[in-house]
Amino acid sequence: MAYVAVKGGSEAIEESIKRLTFERIHTQQVLEIEAIMAGMQGMIDQVMSESSLYSELLAALAIKQAQGNMEEAVFLLRAHRSTLPRNYYTRVIETDNMFVERRISASFKDIPGGQILGASYDYTHRLMDFNLLSESKEAMQKWLLEYEQESQHSSGALTLQSLPKVVAFLQKEGLFPTYEEDQAEPLDVTKRSVQFPTTRSERLQILTRGQTGAVTSLGYAAIRGYGAVHPTVGELRVGKLPLTVAYPMDRTNDEENDLYIGQIKVTEVESFIPITTKNEKNEEEIEFEIGYGICYGQNETKAIAMSILDQALENGNQDYPTHDEEFILMHIDSVESTGFISHLKLPHYVTFQSKLDSVRKIKKGTIQHEK
Amino acid sequence: MKRKKRMRILIDGSREVAKKLASQIEESYDVEIIMQPQEALTMIKMRETAKKTQFYLGEVLVTECKVQVNNQGGIGIVVGLDEELAYQLAIIDAAFEANLIETQNWLPLLEAEELNIKTRLKAEEAKIYKTKVQFETMDV
Repeated sequence: MAYVAVKGGSEAIEESIKRLTFERIHTQQVLEIEAIMAGMQGMIDQVMSESSLYSELLAALAIKQAQGNMEEAVFLLRAHRSTLPRNYYTRVIETDNMFVERRISASFKDIPGGQILGASYDYTHRLMDFNLLSESKEAMQKWLLEYEQESQHSSGALTLQSLPKVVAFLQKEGLFPTYEEDQAEPLDVTKRSVQFPTTRSERLQILTRGQTGAVTSLGYAAIRGYGAVHPTVGELRVGKLPLTVAYPMDRTNDEENDLYIGQIKVTEVESFIPITTKNEKNEEEIEFEIGYGICYGQNETKAIAMSILDQALENGNQDYPTHDEEFILMHIDSVESTGFISHLKLPHYVTFQSKLDSVRKIKKGTIQHEK
Repeated sequence: MKRKKRMRILIDGSREVAKKLASQIEESYDVEIIMQPQEALTMIKMRETAKKTQFYLGEVLVTECKVQVNNQGGIGIVVGLDEELAYQLAIIDAAFEANLIETQNWLPLLEAEELNIKTRLKAEEAKIYKTKVQFETMDV
C-alpha cells in the first residue's frame, strides 16, 4: 500500500480557527492581561515553571491566548522561547540570600529564625467564598488600608534575607553529611538530548520544568509503594532570589562589579529522607539524605514532589518505577507528553486502513477455514 | 559604589531615579545606541543545597540594551519586558564607565534611594514576621 496525499482541509481549518476566536470573544468581555497578572498568580507560576521561562507578562498573555488551557499556554511560551537569543548566563545563584516570604519545617518545631507561614492556603477552610461574586474595588481598598494600618513590630534589621538553613545546624551536629561545592559545569537538556544514565544536573533541570500534575502524581506514587521514599519536609521556602550576571567587559571577575538584573520568586524544598546503611562493623544504621526540589513561583506541591523524585532517582532501583530515571524523566514534560498524546488526533488513515485490511484478511481466512 | 549595588538600587528602587540620572546624561552628551532595547534570555545557573552541585533552573526573560557615551560602552539588563529601564540603565552604566563628572553627584541620590528600599523592605518584613508562629507548649 502506498501513501496517498489528500487535500481539502484548508478552508475547514481556517473556519475552525475562526471558531476558536469566536469561543474566546463571543461574550465581548475583554480579559485584561493586568487582571490575569493580578489575580491568577498560581496559574502564571505553573505556566512559567512548566515552560521553563520566567516572565509573568508573557505567561499571562499565553494564558489569555490559550483561554486558560494550561498545556496550550505552556506550549505557546516554549515556542516563543525558541525564537529568542540566550545572551547571558547568571552567576551561580545560591538560595542562602533569598528574601524569604514563607518558610516552614515539618521536621522541627523550633528552627533558627522560626516557622514563618507567609501566604498559604494550608490553613484555610475550603469553603466557597460567595462574597467574591460581588467583590468591589472600594471593599478592596478598605481592606488594604486596614491591613496597612495594623500595628507591626519592626525588627530594625533585615533578617529575612539571611535566614539560616535548617539543614545547616543538622550538618553542624554531624547528623547529615556535608559536601564540598561541586564546580562541575552542569549539562543543559535544552542543548543536548538526554542520554541515559543521566547526570544530576540533567535530572534536576528536567524535574523542575516537569508538568505539575505529572511530578506530583509520580512523587505520590513513590511514597505509596511504587517507590521506597519516606520523606519529611526539612525546610520549605518561598521567596525572591536576586540574579546577577558577570559584566561582559570586566576582566577582574569581581562579583561586586556584576550586573544585578532583578529577582525571581521560587519555591525551594529540602526533604529529609532516612536510608539504611551498613557501618564498618556490618551493622545497620540509619542515615539521612536530602531530596532537593525547586521551581518557579509558589508551587509547593510540585517542589516537594520534585524533592522526593530527586532522591528516588539518585538511588536508582529497578524494582520501583519511580526510581527508574527513564520512566520518570521521559514522561513528565508537558510539551512532550501532551504533544504525543495530541498527535493521535492527526490523520492516521493509512496506518489504520492497513490494520483494518489485516483484520479483514484474518477474519476472512478464519471463516473459509471453518467452512 | 560598585556596579552590582547601584544596579540593584536602580532596578529595585523608584523608577524616577533611573529616569532622572539618564536624562541628565542625555541632556549633555550624545548617546549612541549600539543595541536597541530588545528581548533576550538569561539562563539561571544554580547551586542546589543537597549535594552542592550546579544545574540550570531555567531561563528568565530580560530586556537588554547597549549604548555608548563619550566613547564608553554601557549595558543595561533587566528582568522582564522593560525597554525604557534597560535603556536608562545602559546610559547610567556608560556614564560611570566614562567617569563623567555628573556621576560624582549621584552617590547621595543613590544612597537615599537605597534607604527608601530598606525602609520598604523592613515594612514588608514586619508584615511577614506577623505570620511567625509563637509556639506555646500545652500542659496536658
